[in-house]
Amino acid sequence: MTAQPILRVSALSKEFRGTRALNEFYLDVAEGEIVALIGPSGCGKSTLLRCLTWLEQPDDGFIEVAGRPFGRALMPRGVVRRQSRREIDALRPKIGLVFQQLNLWPHLTALENVVRPQTVVLGRARAEATRRADELLGRLGLADRAGRYPHALSGGQKQRVAIARALAMEPALMLFDEPTSALDPELVGEVLTVLKSLAATGMTMLVVTHEIGFAVNVADRIAFMDAGAVIEEGPAREVVANPRTPRLRSFLDLVLDRAQVPSGETLALPQTE
Amino acid sequence: MGFKFEYLLSILPDLALAALVNVRLAAVIIAIALMLGTMLTVLRSLKLRPVNAVVAIVISFVRGTPLLIQIFIAYYVLPAVGLDLTPEVAGIAAISFNSMVFVSESMRGGLASIDPGPLEAATALGLRPPVIWWKVVLPQLFRRIAPVLINEATIVVKGTALLSVITVVDVLRTAQQMASSSYRPFETLVGAALVFLVVNLAISLAGKTAEARFAATRM
Amino acid sequence: MRFDASILVDYWPLLAEGAWLTLRITIAAFALGYLAGIAVALLAILPGRLPRLMASVYIETLRNIPFIIILFVVYYGLPFSGVRLPATLVGTAALALFASAYYAEIVRAAILALPRGQFESARVVGMSPAQAMWHVVAPQVLRTLVPPSTNMTLTMMKESAVLSSVTVPELTYQSLIVQGNTFAPFEVFAAVAAIYWLIAIGIAEASRRLERRVGAAQAASVSANPIAARYLSLDARRPS
Repeated sequence: MTAQPILRVSALSKEFRGTRALNEFYLDVAEGEIVALIGPSGCGKSTLLRCLTWLEQPDDGFIEVAGRPFGRALMPRGVVRRQSRREIDALRPKIGLVFQQLNLWPHLTALENVVRPQTVVLGRARAEATRRADELLGRLGLADRAGRYPHALSGGQKQRVAIARALAMEPALMLFDEPTSALDPELVGEVLTVLKSLAATGMTMLVVTHEIGFAVNVADRIAFMDAGAVIEEGPAREVVANPRTPRLRSFLDLVLDRAQVPSGETLALPQTE
Repeated sequence: MGFKFEYLLSILPDLALAALVNVRLAAVIIAIALMLGTMLTVLRSLKLRPVNAVVAIVISFVRGTPLLIQIFIAYYVLPAVGLDLTPEVAGIAAISFNSMVFVSESMRGGLASIDPGPLEAATALGLRPPVIWWKVVLPQLFRRIAPVLINEATIVVKGTALLSVITVVDVLRTAQQMASSSYRPFETLVGAALVFLVVNLAISLAGKTAEARFAATRM
Repeated sequence: MRFDASILVDYWPLLAEGAWLTLRITIAAFALGYLAGIAVALLAILPGRLPRLMASVYIETLRNIPFIIILFVVYYGLPFSGVRLPATLVGTAALALFASAYYAEIVRAAILALPRGQFESARVVGMSPAQAMWHVVAPQVLRTLVPPSTNMTLTMMKESAVLSSVTVPELTYQSLIVQGNTFAPFEVFAAVAAIYWLIAIGIAEASRRLERRVGAAQAASVSANPIAARYLSLDARRPS
């Protein structure tokens, strides 16, 4: 691991009509690390991802991606400079976001969903972009689905196309918004395999999820978020096994109780629990 | 010469008075169109092949030709076949006929969205088709297409302005008469435009309010 | 009453000329009106309250005033502000203005009907707003635009008859001249109605071809439920 984190979020704040969705949010994600961000609904997880991709403009704070400031830069003598739309757009490919709803483009084939951003944004030649897209789709087990339109793909296949679309931009960091929520419960294992295989290539990932079992299995580190800030973090199994703050404890009690009713076995919790 | 705002203000009361002509004509037309449109829809639902073939041609004709031409036909052609109508009556006839077709076509669209369940229940209970139409289908249908009918009402109001062309003294013709004596056509026409804007916005607003209240009472 | 076709033979060139002008005016007003409509629709979806308010005032005002009055306001308003242009040009511009409000509403509604995530997912990979509109929003919106735009264009073509009242020598104007010369309203208006009808059928056919090309979704088929078919369908053929 290098000293420089791939993602550094400092003091990020965002207010919506008097509600602080993000309240001085801090988080570092190191290269090759997988961090799961958990927390109750309404704790600001979605807002964080929208701010990290500048779909929402944070009111305050800084984002650094692979050592480069994103959205706002702190200049010498404490001057804050807002980046132009062009500067922001130029950095966006470095942050791959897989939406909860995936948002594939239904009028384009799976292959074209992956090719188009490369040719339009990175200016890659079509042949080159197609080659990369083929390779990515192949790696994700979609070689025979490349010519299909999204509506003819299963939920899991769509998700992998969305992942390929983001990966094609050669991001430094991948963000996942609730990757298990749009899928049938029995496909959770499949998502896990895909993310693990991505991890094997050294990809840095921030995964927002409300499924503790999934978080424990996929992540190196878990950050627990409440009321717009990270209030506890640490190695995945440890955080879940030995929560230090009362808020995380009560959150875990709540979700584990609930989650165990429908599918207890998918929750591979540490033995210490 | 600049825009004389005071002149515009001074003519608005008379234009508003003239608008009553348009509103009155539109009310009569809408009532006729709703009645005939409903009858036409029920007639089409009988699916008598020759009848529907003729109806289809009439609909295509009405939808494919300008309302102004339809008004001219009522105004110039009907007298030639012995039907001597006053300009007002000719205008009412033309726009009603036009609107009838649009009402029936809206109903056709609305019918497709009605839940067949209550119809099956009514049929199973042995209700006769006229009763089913009157008690089951039409009430649902009118509720469904109420927004479309409100929109059609504003279209009819706008259509009545064309009757000035066949000498009906409505808002537009009143405005033109004022302009010919004051030599201020721009102000009088802006006044006429404002009057129509107010009438149609009022209709849309009343429609939306009624709809909201209706939706509330149904819950 | 007899139908005297010889009148039509004598005055055919006048009517043909008028029809040709009606067609050209419709095409020009369509192009002009659609461009303006797209601009107003984009204004309506811009972030911020002011652009949206401006767009909705534009749309609501033009949609609630009869076209004949819009035409007269433009026709008498332009000389008022010192601009003198040929009637045909003014009429076409007024027609485009009128239609642009409806086109704007059609485009706005189609864009808003598209889930927001479509635009956002394009922005997130780094596309500019214009690129996102072009590559992701526009192709999807296009299919839903065709049917309502066709309807509006037909309406506009029919409204162009009103241009006769400001001496634009289009089809209706010519028909009134022929009617004034011949006093044969039946023949003249039957012929003119038939010409309009043909133009309308032509526009509808062109739209059907376009629709097939952009692959618009087919309407849901009528229910096979016999009771539903009895009351809720007006199609002559009964589903068996």
